Amino acid sequence: MNRNFAIVFWVSLSFLSCSKTMAQNSSDRPSADQILQLSDVSRNGWDSYNVQTTIQNFEDGKMKDEGRFDVTFKGMYKTLVKFLNADVKGEYLLMVDDDMWLYMPDTRKPIRITPLQRLMGDASNGDVARTRYANDYAPTFLREEVLEGTQCYVLNLTAKRDGATYNRIEYWIAKATNRPRRAEIYLTSGIHYKTIDFDTYKEILGRTLLTEMTITDRLRSGRTTIMRYDSYSPKELPEKYFNKDYLEKLK
Amino acid sequence: MSRAYLVLLIVAGTIAAPSKLRSQDLEYRLSVVDEGTINSINENTPINYDNSILPQPYRENIGTSNLFLSVGGFSTLVNLSTSTDNLHSPGYTCSLRECAYDYSLSDAMDITVGKKILKWGTGYAFNPTGVVEPQRTPSDPSDRLGQNEGSDLASLDYFAGKSSLTFVYVNDSGVKSGRWYWGAQEFALRAYTFLSGLDLSLVGHYREGDRLELGTNWSYVIGDNLELHGEFLGKQGSSILYHQIITTDDDQQIFTSYPYTAMYDHSSEIFYKLLLGGQYTFGNGINIVVEFYRNTEGLSTTQWKRWMEFVKFQSDIQRGITPVAPDLIEPSRYNLLWSLQTLSPRGTMRDYVFGREYIAIANWGIELIQFMNADDLSAVIIPTLSFKISDNLSTYGRLSVFTGKCDSEFGALFYKTTFSLGGEVQL
Repeated sequence: MNRNFAIVFWVSLSFLSCSKTMAQNSSDRPSADQILQLSDVSRNGWDSYNVQTTIQNFEDGKMKDEGRFDVTFKGMYKTLVKFLNADVKGEYLLMVDDDMWLYMPDTRKPIRITPLQRLMGDASNGDVARTRYANDYAPTFLREEVLEGTQCYVLNLTAKRDGATYNRIEYWIAKATNRPRRAEIYLTSGIHYKTIDFDTYKEILGRTLLTEMTITDRLRSGRTTIMRYDSYSPKELPEKYFNKDYLEKLK
Repeated sequence: MSRAYLVLLIVAGTIAAPSKLRSQDLEYRLSVVDEGTINSINENTPINYDNSILPQPYRENIGTSNLFLSVGGFSTLVNLSTSTDNLHSPGYTCSLRECAYDYSLSDAMDITVGKKILKWGTGYAFNPTGVVEPQRTPSDPSDRLGQNEGSDLASLDYFAGKSSLTFVYVNDSGVKSGRWYWGAQEFALRAYTFLSGLDLSLVGHYREGDRLELGTNWSYVIGDNLELHGEFLGKQGSSILYHQIITTDDDQQIFTSYPYTAMYDHSSEIFYKLLLGGQYTFGNGINIVVEFYRNTEGLSTTQWKRWMEFVKFQSDIQRGITPVAPDLIEPSRYNLLWSLQTLSPRGTMRDYVFGREYIAIANWGIELIQFMNADDLSAVIIPTLSFKISDNLSTYGRLSVFTGKCDSEFGALFYKTTFSLGGEVQL
């Protein structure tokens, strides 16, 4: 039993054990923490896994550029992103806990970067490398509402770790499936920064996983970024791959 | 590295590679660059008046390709270059920049044998603690034409969580005239850790016949925008060769034999290289790098002035301004040529400031580099405009402007300006 499955199991169990009490309180709603943890499952199929990610940037409906990335997650806090496009071939992005490095073969020196910096188009480094919101954000329940025909819980997420990509998120999660539907991203100043729509989920290796999401820039109209996820597979890389010094050994 | 060594390495790599690795996909990167340059010659400089002492080309073109190949633990980086200018016939070079085999002894330990570029420094334009890597050139810190080569080495890496320990043995050995020879031995050790947001390394280096060097480098990120970094490398005494003129007040003399000597070889003085720098990224994407670099092995202001007065004296002899006996004119010319060996592309004096500003707007990249001598305030300023035509194709224009008085470090160099136009194909 992997750790992710264990989390689902224990969250479900605690949900069931709490349901009697909640029913007595005239509420069938799990806690905000439980909702958030369950929502992460459909974005992260396994404890450690690999996924091929494609990012397409659009301006006024016209595709401007496309980037391809090989992304490997190890446990809760380690991610290795390999850049596949010809002009950035050999570059890597490494995330360990709250820290990120970018390695470029031309300079051969990994440089520290932040999750908020743009990786491509409107996709931040953190949109690719940090997909477990329950680790990074403290949730509070806001309301229930119908979003495009789907009954959703709406949570308010505030960053609880330095490495969290955003300061505040309003997060819509489908009540029936626990799948994320939408995230409204706000800057520290309170400005509405971008909207992420979690568009498509598919059955992959017995799990329902996110395969496409759309990021809409709220500061510059007409700009959208589509992120596609293909070829999910469980994968366990050795620990040394997530040491900054090992980056220059990667090909 | 000799051809025999290369063949040996390939065979060893192929035999040693586990079948699992051999079945892995071939990874490759290919970059082909062609760059044409027009130079505006500094004909008033005393080191090369009228471009007559060491003639420099007005026009030049460099075509260079770098091919990186890797399969399993084996990797190689091969450079093919061709160059031509208005003074020389076309020349061709082929160099093996890297050719190494990485073998994983365990999940925590790796061994690497072959020719490899290691990167140990945290600096952007300077890398004093990069004791086994090519020293960076501040006017071209990213080595845009891919000319840097690795060292022949064997390294052992041990990884433990967020720390690592690396031992490197370097020996520039090879085969010459059919016989194996050993070069000078070098040993380097680095301990790295990442602690509470601080990247920290301790570095030690010893080269046979030279002295022990000890140093440290670090980097630290504050908030989302600011990164700070630093490097220090120190040693007792120095084996650097200095022109004897820097220790004498008599700059009007002609040396009749090679004038360089390791004058601090037996000194107990501590020589050090210090780098302090930072990087700030604004919300609109503008990235700024600023670095201060001190190298106490460089010339002081007084030493530079003595050297420059000596150069001017030799230059005046060549121009006929200072009359000397006819049999001294040719030795004086050699004195001028010898004196050029004092100049270094990484800075000849002690204190430097480096700045780089960069922003990408759509497919355009705008970069401005400033490399300034903090002692005489001369500088080289390099604006570059690049355009990405597609993922595989890009083009750029690069201007270098040398500023300063005619006896300052950058004001006295061979060129006033250079302008390059280049194109790059990447696969």
